Amino acid sequence: MTVAAFLHDNADLVLEYTANHISLVATTLVLSLALWISVGLAISRNKRLDSVVVGIGNIVFCIPSISLFGLFMAVSGLGLGRRTAVLVLVLYAMMPIVRSVSAAVRAVDSAVVEVGRGMGMTGRQILFRIQLPMAWPSVFAGIRVAVVLITGIATMATFIGEKNLGRLIHQGITRGNADMIIAGALVVSVIALLLDFAMGRIEKKIISPGLRYQAGKE
Amino acid sequence: MIQLEHISKRFPDAARPAVDRLSLTVEKGKICVFVGPSGCGKTTILRMINRLVEPDEGTIFIDGKNILQMNPPLLRRTIGYVIQQVGLLPHRTIGQNISLVPELLGWPREKTARKVRELLEMTGLAPEEFENKYPYQLSGGQAQRVGVARALAADPPIMLMDEPFAAVDPIIRMHLQDEFLRVQQHVRKTICFVTHDISEAVKIGDYLVILNQGRLVQSGTPIEILTHPSNDFVSRLIGDDRGSKILDLVRCEAIMDSQAPVTDSPKDNGARVQAVWPVKAALELMMKNNTDEVLVCRDGEAAGTLSWDGIKAHIHRISGGTR
Repeated sequence: MTVAAFLHDNADLVLEYTANHISLVATTLVLSLALWISVGLAISRNKRLDSVVVGIGNIVFCIPSISLFGLFMAVSGLGLGRRTAVLVLVLYAMMPIVRSVSAAVRAVDSAVVEVGRGMGMTGRQILFRIQLPMAWPSVFAGIRVAVVLITGIATMATFIGEKNLGRLIHQGITRGNADMIIAGALVVSVIALLLDFAMGRIEKKIISPGLRYQAGKE
Repeated sequence: MIQLEHISKRFPDAARPAVDRLSLTVEKGKICVFVGPSGCGKTTILRMINRLVEPDEGTIFIDGKNILQMNPPLLRRTIGYVIQQVGLLPHRTIGQNISLVPELLGWPREKTARKVRELLEMTGLAPEEFENKYPYQLSGGQAQRVGVARALAADPPIMLMDEPFAAVDPIIRMHLQDEFLRVQQHVRKTICFVTHDISEAVKIGDYLVILNQGRLVQSGTPIEILTHPSNDFVSRLIGDDRGSKILDLVRCEAIMDSQAPVTDSPKDNGARVQAVWPVKAALELMMKNNTDEVLVCRDGEAAGTLSWDGIKAHIHRISGGTR
């Protein structure tokens, strides 16, 4: 199989690109989780703020990625390179994460929150011991969407200087080399699937069995 | 002891106050039941005692301390709280649910674990079976027991219970009520209990507070209220069967004919009740044995007789005659 031959012959290059790709996705993911989960929690208490922020997330999400990369490279003054790439990818992760966090926290059974308050939990304790743990199943669904999404869109960062698997695909297209395109796409897909699998394992560890049943039942 | 003084509360956009210049005292170690139709303010009163709702006017004292000057979360940790929907944390096991307040208070782990087992046993749930279950694995009745156990966990002197048994079916409700009264014999908490069910109120309460449209209509012991309803509203609330409700509350000794009977007399047909049993138990026995008379015993000795006619006359007298 020629794709296999291509991968074998260019193993060093593919490995380098793969490593770059994963590190870009990982950096984006860490920043996105910290930022967007906090934002999601913050806006969950205010319906109007929620619709504004989720609206912004939706708009960003609708902008074609190639133009957003170009725009940020030119306008932000960050230029080519990793910083711009991370910034844009973090923006793409906004919609799925913020929306799922905010919606899930608001969907937490009000009787449970009422009891938490009535028994003397502070607002912070209610958030971290009741609302967030109960929201995890939906939050995780959002995060997994974001992970797969970022892994795919990251290929586009090749146009602003990222040496990742997008480069294989791009060069494959310009050279008319199908094997190269397929090889790039294949490795990206494998990364996405592996990350999704890993998230699934983490999810099982974090989400209480008491909630897993509910999620399965409904 | 809980004292409410001239408490008023009006919610935004409400036509009339939810609670209107209400004053009352709940004695230590007693069950005080707030009863009335929906919208009468009973739940609001309850929620003001743990400051989930703040009164517009008036003050609330617990053991002489003004609670409006206390830190709300700290106050609430000293007050047990049970609601109709139970509100168990679905992501935590039963044991973890019960240890919620001890955890907030920073109890050592072992003390908490001991308390959890003790409470599960007290509420009739085998600790080894239930401790590690999750709430979805419980029936409604079991969940409500856990709700009560959780409220009792940090041994709060006060319990607030908002229609705790309203969501379970009648048979389970009866069990839960009996069990609750049995537990209260042990723990002797000061309890404020909200219900719209007058039968439940009469059964559970040491003291009833009848409310309508945010105002106190009548308060007193169940027997006082059943025998002397202060107005039509109270009479309607009690219902037409107050005679038979009274039978549940009055002890046989209170209305027996204490002309000490002779055992083995023709009157002794083998039907006996204890002096402290409710009159209803005597009626049950009469119907079961198809007789008009039972012997009332106290300390193993015959103390009097209770007859069908005697009961009828008593009901007639307290129900205010012809109706």
